[in-house]
Amino acid sequence: MTPVHFSFSAAFILGLMGLAFHRTHLLSALLCLEGMMLSLFIALSMWSLQLESMSYATTPVLLLAFSACEASAGLALLVAATRTHGTSHLQNLNLLQC
Amino acid sequence: MVYLVFLFLLGLVLGLIAVASNPAPFFGAFGLVVAAAFGCGILVVYGGSFLSLILFLIYLGGMMVVFAYSAALAAEPYPETWGAWSVLVYVIVSVIGVLGAGYWFVGEWDKFMWVAEEFMELGVLRGDFSGVALVYDLGGGMLIVCGWVLLLTLFVVLELIRGMGRGCLRAI
Repeated sequence: MTPVHFSFSAAFILGLMGLAFHRTHLLSALLCLEGMMLSLFIALSMWSLQLESMSYATTPVLLLAFSACEASAGLALLVAATRTHGTSHLQNLNLLQC
Repeated sequence: MVYLVFLFLLGLVLGLIAVASNPAPFFGAFGLVVAAAFGCGILVVYGGSFLSLILFLIYLGGMMVVFAYSAALAAEPYPETWGAWSVLVYVIVSVIGVLGAGYWFVGEWDKFMWVAEEFMELGVLRGDFSGVALVYDLGGGMLIVCGWVLLLTLFVVLELIRGMGRGCLRAI
């Protein structure tokens, strides 16, 4: 495993563990998802750059478009939860009634 | 160049540790910006300058939106930084975990630490420029799928944030 592979794998695992463990805000969970997307972007770019198969250089751009969709849907959920629940703390989403 | 690559990789991992250690969202967004900047450095060193430009402009532009949201929606009177004890525990555990995993793999790193930059001659088109341009030729189907997904996301967002008792997330 090369240092680049180790680094983006460690970044992905760190983002995944940060998402899975307890978050205070919903926005922190969304930031961890964005960090995972960042490590995936770097992984796909490294794949096409190190193998010099440049026709695969489109895949990070497509991944970036999909991650924009994910971020916008997450932020819309954040706004909706803030409107209905008052705060954006994840503790509120565990409660049975609002 | 090897030290530069090592510095960028270290900055990427440290930025993700700063995000994943549960600080206030304001500082988490700052850590993600740092990680994205070091990731741009990695891509530049390995010869993907156009991909690095895309990452810097589009990803960091999107991060600015998240940053503004974090300032507006998740504001706290006393935000927790990485010096707070509950955050510092996550930081220490993450650093120890990454160092332990790196110690497992460090034996074979000395023969992989070179930089594979193959496009040394002067040229008009670099590889990643023309590679990304293939999305308009061979990747036309995926381009249409991306456009469709972005259009669908627009309506998803509009349905999610619709208020007045007709949205899909309501306080009953």
